[in-house]
Amino acid sequence: MHRALIFSSLNPIYSKLSTTTASPDSAVFPKRDGGWIGPPPVFRLQNYKRTLLPPLCSASDSVANQPKMASQDEQDPRISKISSAIRVIPNFPKPGIMFQDITTLLLDTKAFRDTIDLFVERYRGKDISVVAGIEARGFIFGPPIALAIGAKFVPMRKPNKLPGEVISEEYSLEYGTDIMEMHVGAVQAGERALIIDDLIATGGTLCAAIKLLERVGVHVVECACVIELPELKGRERLGDKPLFVLVSST
Amino acid sequence: MSAYRDKDPRIHGIQSKIRVVPNFPKPGIMFQDITTLLLDPKAFKDTVDLFVERYKGKNISVVAGIEARGFIFGPPIALEIGAKFVPLRKPKKLPGRVISEEYELEYGRDCLEMHLGAVEPGEQALVVDDLIATGGTLCAAMKLLERVGADVVECACVIELPDLKGRERLNGKPLYVLLESH
Repeated sequence: MHRALIFSSLNPIYSKLSTTTASPDSAVFPKRDGGWIGPPPVFRLQNYKRTLLPPLCSASDSVANQPKMASQDEQDPRISKISSAIRVIPNFPKPGIMFQDITTLLLDTKAFRDTIDLFVERYRGKDISVVAGIEARGFIFGPPIALAIGAKFVPMRKPNKLPGEVISEEYSLEYGTDIMEMHVGAVQAGERALIIDDLIATGGTLCAAIKLLERVGVHVVECACVIELPELKGRERLGDKPLFVLVSST
Repeated sequence: MSAYRDKDPRIHGIQSKIRVVPNFPKPGIMFQDITTLLLDPKAFKDTVDLFVERYKGKNISVVAGIEARGFIFGPPIALEIGAKFVPLRKPKKLPGRVISEEYELEYGRDCLEMHLGAVEPGEQALVVDDLIATGGTLCAAMKLLERVGADVVECACVIELPDLKGRERLNGKPLYVLLESH
């Protein structure tokens, strides 16, 4: 079944491309007296025209059944609210980094619901039996998606957190390395999997997750994140693995 | 109160999916591993449904989940009951302004943090975690919420270890669990 493409010819997104602070009534942490709690949002994620990727293949789709790729002007109307619900914190965790904080998205019940729905609409009915979520923010988005599409949820964790037998994959950080672990036996060879995280930066963590799943014979169908930082070229680091994101932040 | 005692027919299926791993994270501890529950879509859904059935329509606007396994159960509950999800985290993970609550471990102390402004005074909140042992972490979570004027309606966990008397440590706050493990 082809997924309906939702777009509007009048794109309201363009009027909101500036990065000025939001007005108090759409403020992230409003107080009852109209003031602010916590730091006012210094920046908002710019609403970015997301190229609509072709609908995801299911195991039984043939290439001949693929619809044409949508044009660049189409964007799901839910995206702009999701984008504006994400808070950017400068200089966290260290100077120079503009941290994309999804916790404010989780405070907006409709936007959080829409975020999950966008992934569920894409992946439902595609024979995906595994949703792997990367600790810790992947644990927030992965399980609701898994529950809605009827897949199991597999946590990918920092070392020494998972009890019992695990397999480990080491990966590079800016300085040094880290390790990601997955339970032995959580997934079976031949299963089709998604990997979920809140954000892709350099792609190192996602890459490690792909390797862990592929080492046990799982087919990673796609990586899915709420946010992409395209300048860090994480997409390229995933090689031939597709990446689906809701929002791009430059 | 516990669903175990209520004998909801779904409980048996949930209980059978939880794996006990001996001597983790250290000798003598029988670790209650919920990851095997997450591998069974029906049992995982039943787990969430049991909480949702209890809390839907009760004017709960906040579900606070304790890092990291509370992040697995909290959001699905929050989404279904129309509440916001507030992560309660280890130190230095949350960006921006936070409030912190220190609590005691078996040896030493730890700290739980919550974002300032995430929760408003008067909101009704749930605290969710996979398991309650001594109750130290849940206690710290409740204090964080109460310090900003929220009303903690109940703490909700999949598993309780009643021998560790965590329920008593909650200062009279109700605790609801699906399963007990002795």
